[in-house]
Amino acid sequence: MSTTDADDRHRQDGYLLELAERLRAHGLPADRVEATVMDLGAHLAECGAGDAEAEFGPAEEFARQLVPDTGVRAPADPGDEVETWRWTADAYVDEALLNRFGDEGWEVQRVDAVGRFVSHRDVAQPQRWEYRRELVTRGRADVDLRLAPDGWEACGDWLVYAYYKRPRAASLGPAARVDSPPPVPERSSFFSRKFYALLAVFAAALVVAGAVAAVGDGDASSGLGFVTGGIVGAAIPAAAAWTYQRRRTRRS
Amino acid sequence: MSDRRSSWFKGVLDLLVLAALTGGESYGYEIAKLLGGAGFGQIKGGTLYPVLNRLEEAGLVDAEFRAAEKGPGRRYYRLTEEGRATLGEQGGLWLAFDHSVREVLARAGVEER
Repeated sequence: MSTTDADDRHRQDGYLLELAERLRAHGLPADRVEATVMDLGAHLAECGAGDAEAEFGPAEEFARQLVPDTGVRAPADPGDEVETWRWTADAYVDEALLNRFGDEGWEVQRVDAVGRFVSHRDVAQPQRWEYRRELVTRGRADVDLRLAPDGWEACGDWLVYAYYKRPRAASLGPAARVDSPPPVPERSSFFSRKFYALLAVFAAALVVAGAVAAVGDGDASSGLGFVTGGIVGAAIPAAAAWTYQRRRTRRS
Repeated sequence: MSDRRSSWFKGVLDLLVLAALTGGESYGYEIAKLLGGAGFGQIKGGTLYPVLNRLEEAGLVDAEFRAAEKGPGRRYYRLTEEGRATLGEQGGLWLAFDHSVREVLARAGVEER
């Protein structure tokens, strides 16, 4: 590395350190600060810009532009400030995770067209939430009526499941407030081992059935056709389910 | 005149970023390079990243930081269903606007340079 390269690198590190400081000062969670700075460091390395300030602008101004758009800015009325996080999980773990994240102050607003829980958290006064999931095959109205007296409110549907939320403040009072909310999780997908095992079993069954068909017919293309048919056969109900959910989300 | 081009660009950059993600997930520098190669010139990180953040906050893109086995980690951006719908709707409005401007300028005898 030449002296000029070393100088550039030194200046870039100085800029990124200053930017990290300012992002923290603007209230960006620590894990987001780290990810942002690493990402921008990678950008500088890849584009070969020696001067970080020429690429991103003055650190304070850039930090101000980045933080107001991450959901943790301070608006005119701090009481209105919310963080937003979208995440998804499979049916084996979703209820447990809803309650875990509910304990961290996340309130589900809706389930979007691709099955993600769109969750908000009040930054100034985060409150604990609890959740339950109900199987609904003939509409949700009866279940809504049955659960309403206990304070459960519908917060989303996904295919045959309806999700309900209830503020823990109803049972805990002021103790339902989350005193030290953890940062917004970086992950947005939570799939259990059971879910992956199910996928693996499905894939293995398809391959075995394809192999049996190929051996039985004495023709490899017959097995391939069987496997392709199986995949297409699985894709059709998945596409139908996605279309149904999308329409339902739009209606609601 | 370059100021005017710069303000046109800023007005449409969010749509260009969404369009750049229709081919699959990507990261900041790659998006800047793709748009630069499309004739928009060099796009500074200071212009691009705040736009990516705004799109993420609006739910039009999803972002995920992934550490790399070799080299530095990056935030990868992916178009959401909402982002795809917004691109179709807003992109269509932009094309209609562009069509009207072209018609008026063509009637006035203006040619592309």
